[in-house]
Amino acid sequence: MQIRDFFRGSPDGIDVKGPGVLCSFEVGGVTINLTETVVISWGIILAVTLLLLWLTHGMKTKNISKRQVAAEWIVTTVYGLVEDTMGKHWRSFAPYIAALFTFSITGSLVSMLGLRSVTADFNAPLTWALITFVFIHGTNIKTHGLGGYLKGYVDPVPVMLPINILSEVATPVSMSLRHFGNVVSGMVITSLLYFALSAVTKAIGVAFLTIGIPAVLSLYFDLFSGFMQAFVFIMLTMAYISNADGRNEA
Amino acid sequence: MNLDFLTIDPGTILFTLINTLLIFLAFKFILFKRVDAILAQRQQEVTSTYTAADDALKSAKANQESYAQKLAGAKDEAAEIISRAEKKAQLEGDLILAQARTEAADTREKAAAATAREAAQAKAALQGEISDLAVELAQKIMEKEISKADHDRLIEEFMQEIQTEGEQA
Repeated sequence: MQIRDFFRGSPDGIDVKGPGVLCSFEVGGVTINLTETVVISWGIILAVTLLLLWLTHGMKTKNISKRQVAAEWIVTTVYGLVEDTMGKHWRSFAPYIAALFTFSITGSLVSMLGLRSVTADFNAPLTWALITFVFIHGTNIKTHGLGGYLKGYVDPVPVMLPINILSEVATPVSMSLRHFGNVVSGMVITSLLYFALSAVTKAIGVAFLTIGIPAVLSLYFDLFSGFMQAFVFIMLTMAYISNADGRNEA
Repeated sequence: MNLDFLTIDPGTILFTLINTLLIFLAFKFILFKRVDAILAQRQQEVTSTYTAADDALKSAKANQESYAQKLAGAKDEAAEIISRAEKKAQLEGDLILAQARTEAADTREKAAAATAREAAQAKAALQGEISDLAVELAQKIMEKEISKADHDRLIEEFMQEIQTEGEQA
């Protein structure tokens, strides 16, 4: 069953689609699609890179500009967050956390420019969750040794093995689906609202309803939810990796 | 053409992986590297400023001590100079006083000698004159008979003469 099935019977219908495919090519039998998500991501990368260049341009040690205050604040805040959550030896992880947070929040906020949210494509949060998954298990093996890592699956009793495996697999699935679900539900609700409001407008012939209400909802679904999901995602990433780190065990 | 609403698309995953890597590199090598460098530089400047301030404080204290020492030395020296000068002045004053005393004594002696000498001279002159006068008086007496009145007058004249002579002397 697809979402559009819910709206069958409406004259215009509304359709919640996946990202558009701009072009696709075959590489070794696998179809590689260049989707909307990827192209918008490139725009985000370009914008973020330019923003970072502007922020860090002409930095000094004294009489610093407001830009530099902002740049230093970002860096020290992320360092503080990473050190508080993961410990001092994970300090070098801070740039990844900053990048992930920025990518996630800008990926959600592009919807305010009328573009399709990058995070409304399941593949984006899935990729990040897979990166986190690799980090979790890499850290676990690195700090506990391969034996210790494998032993972790039969803890406390061997019967737990399937449950432990399931719990490990559930981590990236839950992380990515949580992020995707929140963003895409916002998108769906906004679409429904537009549809409903325009239906009402058509019925009574006055277009006042479409003016204020979508903006208020957009404030919640785009700004608040986008920020929350980005934050939740980086906090979970740090917590899971930190948990897998044997050095953090007392 | 659109993908389905919920699709796992390997191409998108691959591209997102690359994009995430790119944005990570941008953060690492633009923002974090530069800000870290600036923070380290500032830390170093702060450290060097503190070191310089500590050094300045130390040298100021050393200067203060050396000035205090010099000042104490100067005070001692001044006291010594003053006491030496006082001793010297005392010595010189004593010397001058002694000299003056000697000189005064000399002068007194000389004056006394001169007076004695003069007195002797005067005495000698007077004796000569007295004898002359006696001779003269005798002559005069010889020259004329003299009355008691004349006699008195002569003696009076003689006495006056002696007096004037004495006054002249």
